[in-house]
Formats: sequence, C-alpha cells, structure tokens
Amino acid sequence: MIKDITIGQYFNGKSVLHRLDARMKIILTVVFIVSIFLCQNFWSLGLMVLFTLMTVIVSGVPFKMVLRSIKPIAIIVTFTSLINIFYVRGGTSLVDWRFIHITTNGVFTALFMATRIVCLVVISSMLTYTTTPTMLTDAIEKLLSPLKIFKIPVSTLAMMMTLALRFIPTLVDEIDRITNAQKARGANLDDGNFVQRIKALVPIIVPLFVSSIRRAVELADAMDCRCYTGGPGRTRMKQMKFHLRDFASLFVILVLIAGIVVLNYYFGAVLVK
Amino acid sequence: MPVLSMKGVTHLYNKGTPSQSKAIDNINLDIEEGELVGIIGHTGSGKSTLVQHFNGILKPESGKIFVDGTDIWSSKKATREARFKVGLCFQYPEYQLFEETVYKDISFGPKNMGLNEEEIQKRVLLAAKYVGLQQELLEKSPFDLSGGEKRRAAIAGVIAMQPKVLILDEPTAGLDPVGRDKILDMIKAYREKTGSTVLLVSHSMEDVAKIATKVLVMNDAHIEMYGTVDEVYSHSEKLREIGLNIPQVSKVFEILNKKGLNLGSAYTVEKAAELILSKGGAAV
Repeated sequence: MIKDITIGQYFNGKSVLHRLDARMKIILTVVFIVSIFLCQNFWSLGLMVLFTLMTVIVSGVPFKMVLRSIKPIAIIVTFTSLINIFYVRGGTSLVDWRFIHITTNGVFTALFMATRIVCLVVISSMLTYTTTPTMLTDAIEKLLSPLKIFKIPVSTLAMMMTLALRFIPTLVDEIDRITNAQKARGANLDDGNFVQRIKALVPIIVPLFVSSIRRAVELADAMDCRCYTGGPGRTRMKQMKFHLRDFASLFVILVLIAGIVVLNYYFGAVLVK
Repeated sequence: MPVLSMKGVTHLYNKGTPSQSKAIDNINLDIEEGELVGIIGHTGSGKSTLVQHFNGILKPESGKIFVDGTDIWSSKKATREARFKVGLCFQYPEYQLFEETVYKDISFGPKNMGLNEEEIQKRVLLAAKYVGLQQELLEKSPFDLSGGEKRRAAIAGVIAMQPKVLILDEPTAGLDPVGRDKILDMIKAYREKTGSTVLLVSHSMEDVAKIATKVLVMNDAHIEMYGTVDEVYSHSEKLREIGLNIPQVSKVFEILNKKGLNLGSAYTVEKAAELILSKGGAAV
C-alpha cells in the first residue's frame, strides 16, 4: 500500500522533458490542465490524449510506472463516471426504464470527465517523474517570488516544501521498520473489525511521531550549525536559465491550444444544451 | 532435528523494478537447538534479510523455511506460530517502544499471544530480570529511560514472549563499551539459563568471538562459512578478503606465531592471557 505513493517520485532520465527548465514545466503543466477543460468535442479531446501519450513516450518513463500513478484514482474516475451517466440530463434518451434515465449527454459527460482526469493525472505525474524534488521547489520558489512584495516568506515556504518532500521516503522506511518490529511481537494488523484495526495502529503511530519529532529537532540543529537563517540574500548553487528548448516547448503548447480552438469551432460542441 | 532450517531460500528486493537485487541467494542452512550463532558479514551482505525470514516477516521469493520442522508458510496458523517461536529483535529496537509504561510495553508481546494476566506478569518480571532492568523502572514511561535502558527494555519485550529461538540484530550498535558488554553478558547469561537457541547478528568480530559457539559468515548474498569459532577464525586470509577484520588480539597472535612463538590462536583477550600464561613461559 505504502509503495503505491508516487508523489515526489523521480525517474532518472536524459530526455528533453528532463532537461526542460522546471519553471517552464510547471507553467506548461498548468496551461495544459486548463486547456483540457476547453475541449468540447471528441476531436479536440482526442488531440489532448494524443499529446499526453506523446509526452509519455518522449519522457522515456516506462508505461508501467505511469499506470501506477493512475491506479489510486481509478475509484474516483469510476465513481464520477457513474454519477455523470445517471444524473446528467439532455440530448437523446438512451434508456428510460422506471427510475433509470440515461441520456447521450450523460454518457458523453462521463467519457469526457474520465478522460480529462486521467490526462490530468498523467501529465502532472510526468512533471514529478522528470523533475527532481529540489528542482521543483526551486522553481516554485522562483515562480512565487513576486509574492514577496506582500511580505509572504516565499523562500521559507519553499524550504519547508523541500524538507517535506525529502522526508517522504524516510518516513515510508520508518513505517516499514516499525511495522515489522511490532509484527515480530505478534501485532495483528491485517485481521479484525474496523475498531480493532484502528487500535492496532497505535503501536505504529506513537513511535512514528516520537521519531519524527526527534528527527525534526536534529534537523533544525544541523541547519543551525550550518548557519541557516533563511530569508533574503540566499543565493543558489545552480542558477536556472531558460534555453531555446523551453521557448520551443511553450510554442508547442500554444499550437496545441490553437488546435483545440480550431477543432472546437470546426466540429462544434458534442453536448446538447 | 534442527530448530531452524532453510532450503534453497532466495529473496529479491524491489522486484520488477530496474533496481531489483538479490539480497540472499539460494541459502541452505540448518541451525541446531541450543547453539549461540554469531552471524557476521559487512554491510549489505544479507545478514538482516536472512534473519527476517525465520519468523515470517519477509516472505522468500523461492525456497522453504522450517521452524521446529514445520514449514512456516504452509498455513496462516504456522506463520503466526513462527512469530512467537522465533523472537526477533530488530536493529535499534528502542524505536519500537510506544506504551505509557515500560511494564505495559514489555507485556505487548505476551498479550498478543493471548496469555492471562497472571502469566503475563510472571513473564514480564522474568524478562526484566534477564535484561537487568530494576523493578522501579517498570512503572516509568519508556521515553524517560536512558539510551541503554531503552535498548534493554525493548529486548525484554521480545524475551517476554519466551521464544524458542531469540534473534538479535546488531544489539550493541551505537552503545558505549560498557553498555555493549552489559548486553553481551546478558545474552550469554540468558542462553545459559534458558537453554534457548540464540542468533546474534553483528559486524563486530570481537563481540561474536566473546560469546558465540558457532559463526556464520555472510558475503554477497551467500553463506561463505559456517562452523565453530575456531574453524572460522582460522581462515583469517579469507575473512580479510571479504572485508572482515579478525579481532585485534588475533592479529597480534598471528604475528607472534609467525615469529616462531607457537602460541596457538586466541580470539578474545581472556583466552589470549590464558594462553600466554600457560604456553608463553615455555616458548620464551
């Protein structure tokens, strides 16, 4: 279960996507997510799916790993699709039996929603697969830096984010270790009813909290020892620079949006008002 | 019949990913009842992985594991029984403490076995005695104990289950020399009193030499050697080849022997002193 967590996972590679500037990647991801919701018919939606697939192929991340990031959202996708099918009205009626009414609009909305969510998750996981957590937080810090005018401590927030991401694998290891230690003392974590299972977690959660707090204190001391004060004036070892490929990728996305607008206009909307 | 036995056990880490690796490879091993086996090997040689198979914490990729002649993966019941028959104390066990008092924490294992209050109390007090925890400490919070006391309280938590086989993974790691000797003496005394089998994972050849009856050397996912202390430690060349250092005192003896003193071999300071006193005088 714990091994399914894909947040902050990085897949080492040398593709164009890996080499793109992290700031640009974040902007492009946001633009892409917005443009998914612009699609009004199957042609433009198809174009988005095609683009998503191309991104995966270009990145060199194995399909298996991409599928793993979709697995946790399978339930949400199924659930929203079912609700859409049964509750959205309009268009031609397909089934009209007692309390069940299914219309073309319902089916289309369900299909659109499912595709959109999957594309959205795949593209955002491509962002984390091709960008190291440090690059990602550096980029977020840079993108948020205009907020400094409003006295928001952007660099401190970025440091907090870096640390949080840094400790995900450590905590996963820790949970594994503590679970095994308690299992060795006969703790039964897999059987019993709901209440029993919750109770069985106490021997894992208490040591986890204790060691997390200890770790946090140690980390703070270590940062103090290296004279970390945060705030303004801190410079970076690796400066981020935009290259030609970053602008080229921006251009590709703009062409994609133009394509969607044209397809939307040319084929019209699939949903009937 | 050996109390622990492995037949062709292989374990893979990160199966199905690019970083897949064999932690232990086709291990065949029999451990007889009553032995105190020291398991040594450098970091990453597979020692910890090996011992975590005996109580079913890790499931092997292939091969069979027998505890007391029962295949521990043959049924759910057998796996659970193995948990109690083989008490495994992990590295840095003090991080598993969670209860309000030391007493409650030590009784966690016996409670999971479904024993009655009276039996639990008996076992907790006995376990505390084995590890040398004073009675008044039992009512304290485990988080108020010193590092060494925490370690011993955690070990007591495993001993209280009264397992047939006790496995300790690096029980002396990170302790000062006094704390280290205390733990080693405790293990030795525990085995002598209860007659149970003990497996001691360590990378300190000195520690193992002090108390073990047999030594198992792991190297690169394989068993390199398995025999009595004398047998294994006499292969000092081979041990050095795989990155293990024989005890300091043995090195001194090797040099003395080479110089023609013919003192025999010693692995602990006590044995060395004994040898020098008995043979040394005649040789010089």
